[in-house]
Amino acid sequence: MGLIQRSIEDVGISTISISLSKEITGKVRPPRAVCFGSLLGHPISYPGQVSRQLCVLRLLLKYLEEIRAPGTIVDIDSTAVDECAAAYPASK
Amino acid sequence: MEFRDSPWTKLDKDLTQCRLALITTGGVHLRCQPPFNMTDPSGDPTFREIPADASPSDLLIKHNYYDHSDADKDINILLPIERVFDLKQAGDIGDVNYRHFSFMGHIMHHHIDTLIEKTAPQVATELKSDNVDIAILTPA
Repeated sequence: MGLIQRSIEDVGISTISISLSKEITGKVRPPRAVCFGSLLGHPISYPGQVSRQLCVLRLLLKYLEEIRAPGTIVDIDSTAVDECAAAYPASK
Repeated sequence: MEFRDSPWTKLDKDLTQCRLALITTGGVHLRCQPPFNMTDPSGDPTFREIPADASPSDLLIKHNYYDHSDADKDINILLPIERVFDLKQAGDIGDVNYRHFSFMGHIMHHHIDTLIEKTAPQVATELKSDNVDIAILTPA
């Protein structure tokens, strides 16, 4: 996926991805990535968990704005998603 | 494959003014589209265009290298096609692009060259022609 991300960033689009493996992501060096510790097949939470899905997306947008160094991989503890979901139970 | 540097496009617009597109490598395709090729052990470097207004019931997953039973129940955990409209409605982003793109992960050997030289740049060019500002990529 990092190879695709690199191509998209190359044409002038700001990108961010979810990393399921920091080791692989670290080798491919996409411009911005966030590691939520997600399980395979569950990059954006679980079925029906709308608030958590929105929180994952909002955290991605937050780091899309905040990351300043190319190749950064941000580690996010699951509690950050928990806290966000509690604060925004349905939507923003 | 290893790289020493990263491409970089500075985000120079407020998110509320940005058009967003999604890209997944989870093997998502429309029912009416051919599924990804699972018979080639090196994978399938092609892509599928997913209309942003596609219904989750229009979407299938063809990917034998991960358990997608939960994503079959709710595609948003892989390709958050409904959630991005929630973001737009809430004012987090300016707009959702009219189409997203899907690849299949597990691309190996000679197909990596096809991905790097042909299909990934093709999708990038398409997104640029759509005036997309930001993209979120989700793995499987």
